[in-house]
Amino acid sequence: MADKVSPIEALPPASREYGEIGPVSDKPRWGMVVDQERCIGCWSCAVICKSENDVPLGMWWNRINTVGEAVDTPFLEQGNLEMHWMPLACQHCENPPCTKVCPVAATYKRDDGIVMMDNERCIGCRYCMVACPYGVRVFNWGAPERPTEFDTGMVAARPVGTMEKCTFCVHRITDGQVPSCVWSCPAQARIFGDLNDPDSRTSHLIRDREGYQLLAERGTDPKVYYLPPRRRRGL
Amino acid sequence: MSAIATPATPAAALPARRANPLLIAWFALLAAGMAIGLGAWFYQQSQGLAATNMRNTVMWGQYITFFMYFVGLSAGGLIVASAGRLFGAARFKPIVRLAVLEAGVAVMLAALFLLPDIGRPERIWHLFRYPNLTSPMIWDIAIVSVYFLISAVYVWLYTRADLARAGSPLALGTGTTEAWHRRDERLKTALAWIGLPAAILLHSITAWIFGLQIARGFWYSAIMAPLFVSSALVSGTGLMILLALVVRRAGKLSFRNELVSYMGGMLGVFIAVEAFLVLSEMLTAAYPGAGFEADPIARLVVGPYSPFFWFEVIVGLAIPFVLLAVRRFRMDVRLVGLASVLAVVGIFVHRLNIILNGLSYVTVPYPPGVSIGTPQPPGTDSFSLSLFYVPSVVEWLVTIGVLSFGALVFTMAVLVLPLREKANGEAAEAVR
Repeated sequence: MADKVSPIEALPPASREYGEIGPVSDKPRWGMVVDQERCIGCWSCAVICKSENDVPLGMWWNRINTVGEAVDTPFLEQGNLEMHWMPLACQHCENPPCTKVCPVAATYKRDDGIVMMDNERCIGCRYCMVACPYGVRVFNWGAPERPTEFDTGMVAARPVGTMEKCTFCVHRITDGQVPSCVWSCPAQARIFGDLNDPDSRTSHLIRDREGYQLLAERGTDPKVYYLPPRRRRGL
Repeated sequence: MSAIATPATPAAALPARRANPLLIAWFALLAAGMAIGLGAWFYQQSQGLAATNMRNTVMWGQYITFFMYFVGLSAGGLIVASAGRLFGAARFKPIVRLAVLEAGVAVMLAALFLLPDIGRPERIWHLFRYPNLTSPMIWDIAIVSVYFLISAVYVWLYTRADLARAGSPLALGTGTTEAWHRRDERLKTALAWIGLPAAILLHSITAWIFGLQIARGFWYSAIMAPLFVSSALVSGTGLMILLALVVRRAGKLSFRNELVSYMGGMLGVFIAVEAFLVLSEMLTAAYPGAGFEADPIARLVVGPYSPFFWFEVIVGLAIPFVLLAVRRFRMDVRLVGLASVLAVVGIFVHRLNIILNGLSYVTVPYPPGVSIGTPQPPGTDSFSLSLFYVPSVVEWLVTIGVLSFGALVFTMAVLVLPLREKANGEAAEAVR
């Protein structure tokens, strides 16, 4: 991953600012807010994630689930048709089941809360995948196939036979930039920030909009919060 | 086992004086099976695990099923050797050697099935270099190793005196005097004290690989460890009966039919306990009617894999129980053998249900589900909400290879080791 250099330095200041992380405390704990009221289910974040992180065909670190029974289809709620989406990537749990079960500690939680993979250590037993309640880990089952003849993105490809998943675009955070899915969202439905800083946009939104965690009852304490839709968006 | 026609000549491994054509054919078959399995594994390594039918939804399949199955099959050694010794069941004596041998081979096969399952087997040493002590898998590998060692020492201890008497180098220079014999007895008792808890731990830790996962409502249950112990007792006892009958037919062992009926009675009790635990688990999970614990039960009973479940209940539990509970049936060796076959197959299907029903549905059940993990043909979905897993040809061939290896080791051991207890002389152990 070291040979890749971020082009963010080369961006004009206005562009840089758009993707910059807001207020940050001394000891950041990175988190994300996904606004289900704003999400339009366009898959932009999922596609740019594949490009940014060089994710081969058939594998997705980030996907857009439709709440209900079928993709992009409304469901009935108290007699009204409703439709909204649940974008799903690694929840970066504060209490991650995956790191607990990894026999070789190839997946681990960093001090800033990001759950990371060490693809040089992973033996490919897929226990983390079994343990993950969100189904967001993807395994390199075979030789990678890509739509392009070259690698894309800002990080090195992962070897076959190992596990990979969303990293919160850790290489961009190092540059003070938000993850790719955040700046690429046309509806600005994703917000990234420091959960430890009470003034960060994420902290404000979670407080004001009653952000909830997915499968909170399992005690995994995800650092991705969802903002429930407030008004009906139906027919 | 269809494609095994490759001529192979492992006959050199046999002593020339025992040129039994049936045996030679058997060894040729096993050698061919091993060659095919090894070839399939190399092919799988060249393609990655994409050569299997495991994907991001059913990420563990046939290999792990066989792993837990063989862990369970090793239970025969526990009952007969350790429990028999500690609780003074002298009637097991004619089959003790076979039992500990079977335990050792079974647990070795269990460990072997882990190898083709992992994506990067060349990094297996990472398990010892970077062990993560919160992972049940690390503990399971530790207990599998310990249990294998115990079984190996057991096999040696039980056959040592006869080997020494025959002047075999396998006796490792030990003698046949009364002092040696007394030391054997002390060691066997000491080993039984270690072996019994080790066996319980073996099945429990294997259960905890699954039972500690809050992600899987079908698995997350305190009953998993007791259930694994009970299914191990069922499959272990069943296999023990079958192996004893086969080895006796081959003329390598002698015991009376009462022993078969006695073990059949034990098997019946174990089956009843197993059925009770399954029922208790399912009722507790299903009673709320919906939710992350009840939904998998509904899928198990009426879902795509429900034939497996009903097979487990009827063929694996109900029929063998009836065969073993009725005294008249139990006295018939052939019926006990039949019940053992059904029980052994039934527990395999039970293991299959645990894996398939635990893994084949998506934990966040919104469409489109989880990315499958390999490129899909144009026009088809690259996501799935529930994958119907059927092992690929490669998985079957690798499985055949590992099973052939196990059968080879077992057959060789039966040929080389003195399995028959001497009826008299100093080799006969003092009855406790």
